[in-house]
Amino acid sequence: MITTKQIDSYIAKIPPSPKVLKETLTLLNQGDLVKAAKTGKEDRALNAYLKELVNKPIYGFRNEVNDISQIFGILGVSKSQQTTYNYMISLLSPTKWKLFKLNKSSFYDLQAQLSANWHKITAHLNINDKDVQSAISLLPASIIVSEALFCEKLEDVKLLRSVDEIDLNTILQRLCKMDLFDICQRIAQRWEMPESTAAIIQASSGVKSSNDETINTLGKWMHLLLFYTLSQPTFIEAQLNDFIDFQIDYVSDIYDDFSQLMEIK
Amino acid sequence: MRAVIKDSIGVFHPQGFLDGASSASLLSIEDIEQTVKSNASMILVSLKKVIFFNRNGLDTFVKMFQKVRIANHITVGFCDYDKKKYNAIKKFYNDDVNFSLFKTQKIASLFSASFKEKNQNILLFSDDKSQRAALAIELHDNGHNPIVAQTQKEFLQKAEVKDAYDIIIEDTFLGQMGQQVATRVTGNAIIYTLSSFLDAEIGNTFNIAYHNNSLNVGFRLFIFDVYKVVSMNIHALNFFSKLASSAAEYNATLCFIGMSFDKTPILFKETLEDSGMMFFNQMDDILQNKELLDELGASSAVSGKNKRAINKVLVTELPNFIDATVTTIEMMTNSKAVKDAAKVNKIEITDQSDKIASSIGFYGDIDGMIMLVFPLGIAKKACELLIGESTEDKELILDTLAELVNIVGGKVKTLLADEHISVNITLPRTYQDMNGLLEVAEGKKGVQVDLSFDNDKFLFFLTR
Repeated sequence: MITTKQIDSYIAKIPPSPKVLKETLTLLNQGDLVKAAKTGKEDRALNAYLKELVNKPIYGFRNEVNDISQIFGILGVSKSQQTTYNYMISLLSPTKWKLFKLNKSSFYDLQAQLSANWHKITAHLNINDKDVQSAISLLPASIIVSEALFCEKLEDVKLLRSVDEIDLNTILQRLCKMDLFDICQRIAQRWEMPESTAAIIQASSGVKSSNDETINTLGKWMHLLLFYTLSQPTFIEAQLNDFIDFQIDYVSDIYDDFSQLMEIK
Repeated sequence: MRAVIKDSIGVFHPQGFLDGASSASLLSIEDIEQTVKSNASMILVSLKKVIFFNRNGLDTFVKMFQKVRIANHITVGFCDYDKKKYNAIKKFYNDDVNFSLFKTQKIASLFSASFKEKNQNILLFSDDKSQRAALAIELHDNGHNPIVAQTQKEFLQKAEVKDAYDIIIEDTFLGQMGQQVATRVTGNAIIYTLSSFLDAEIGNTFNIAYHNNSLNVGFRLFIFDVYKVVSMNIHALNFFSKLASSAAEYNATLCFIGMSFDKTPILFKETLEDSGMMFFNQMDDILQNKELLDELGASSAVSGKNKRAINKVLVTELPNFIDATVTTIEMMTNSKAVKDAAKVNKIEITDQSDKIASSIGFYGDIDGMIMLVFPLGIAKKACELLIGESTEDKELILDTLAELVNIVGGKVKTLLADEHISVNITLPRTYQDMNGLLEVAEGKKGVQVDLSFDNDKFLFFLTR
């Protein structure tokens, strides 16, 4: 059994610890892109990360984008904030993944794909709230925390997986009384994100729907996006596809809309 | 991915989106083989949590299915889908579905021999007549009580009655479960389907033992459906010439239907015709022409070769054969059988009127043929169960009878396998009167067992 204390200690490693980063985020929160870029410039790793991320094909820029102020300018406030969160998360990703067969590059891909498509979705739903857009970055974050928690009990996890076909999310719950989405909620609290963000994430579990219609709709889209992304060979092989249980009935009413938006033929 | 095994059925549960790339990552042939090793007699992929799939996605699974089905003789396919998904699969594969489709896992379990709840009342419907029969037979074989709806309308009416059935089966399809070289059609002709390029490989892919045994059992018309053949080379030409010449010894006819000579030398046609092969443009040219069908030997049989007598091995196995037959017929007619007499001699049918017959051959470790002579009454009774209502249509009765004999053959095969004797069975043949049967059985010695079902006399004849 992993205690809440242990979990909190992992999550404690997720603060916007470097001062520069904290300031950049605060400035982004205030919507001041110019100042944020100026501050952000001081963190070289952030610059390198942003460059690598936005030049991935999913962002679809024709020419290579180099400068942080240029990047923030292109991305706009909400996407810049989301991307900076993604960077913070990447700082925590383990150098060697033990349970999930991921690496630095495939993890960045996961972040990039979730972020870019989530942006497409929120635009489609006419939602222009930067907190809603940042919500998606919580999922990769909690995957890192889960990996760390599983590694504590790697043998137990492997044993449980070999005797019975249970999904990792259930094992996570049995191990530490928290599932992937609860971990997301903890991280959201840590990052002082509004409660509604955590609610969207909980709704995206597909089993804890919200009474708030907007949150519920967002939860459905996020659940489907998660499986759309996790159905790619890289993430199937990384064992992420069967991390959580797909709630097909929960998303059936938005599927046609989703497949049109993602151009699924 | 690991399968969940229950009632000897191994089910894989992929989730999300299935396309060519993701399917290959989800499931490997090793995963399936591992499941087969754990004594699964059926391997299914559940589509319950699959929100999207395309043909490529399914193809990856289907290719793996083929491999394990051929190597292990198990049932393979998909389960847990709705009507939309069912129609999509049927559309993807047109009429070429060579795997099974079970609407639910529960339905699949009814077709698994190890399912514990027997005697289920089952209402079933399929648009396809032969599927209806195949489903009913399999269910019956597994100890259930199927009620077959003949039309969609009838099905909906019957399905409305609450609590009348334990299970209702629709949108379910039984793919190839065993022998796949031939298809039987009314008129006792065997149709082989060939495609693409015919070359030396035909000697390996064509099941010659099966073909020879079909000749032995008395099939006299063999049709090769070659619409989809692109071209033929000299090796294939030699193969078919030999096949046609050897068939001639049995007075049998071989036909090619729909052969195009665009890319095959027209000279080949002459060579084949010289060895007795016939050519037709369309299947209906033969099948719809009853006179031609009779002339080509579909209903006559003069067995010139191999008048072999019954031997000791066959006699030792006799109780098994009789058991298999009697239990099947008892099950189908809901009556009790009494054994009257058994003797070793040539077949002897006292009253030849109002009787129909069918036969099925087996070959492998031991060879032989089972002939069953039914009074029309018993045949009708058995058919009632499969068709769902009584009928006077003799052709339909004969067809159903063929299926019945097929079940007997299947049982015999299983029983012999228990004794470590491995055999294959031919397709069943039917005879609408005793003349046809006697032509095949003439001069053959065998074991004849007379049985009584209620007041009807029934005859079982085992020979070689």
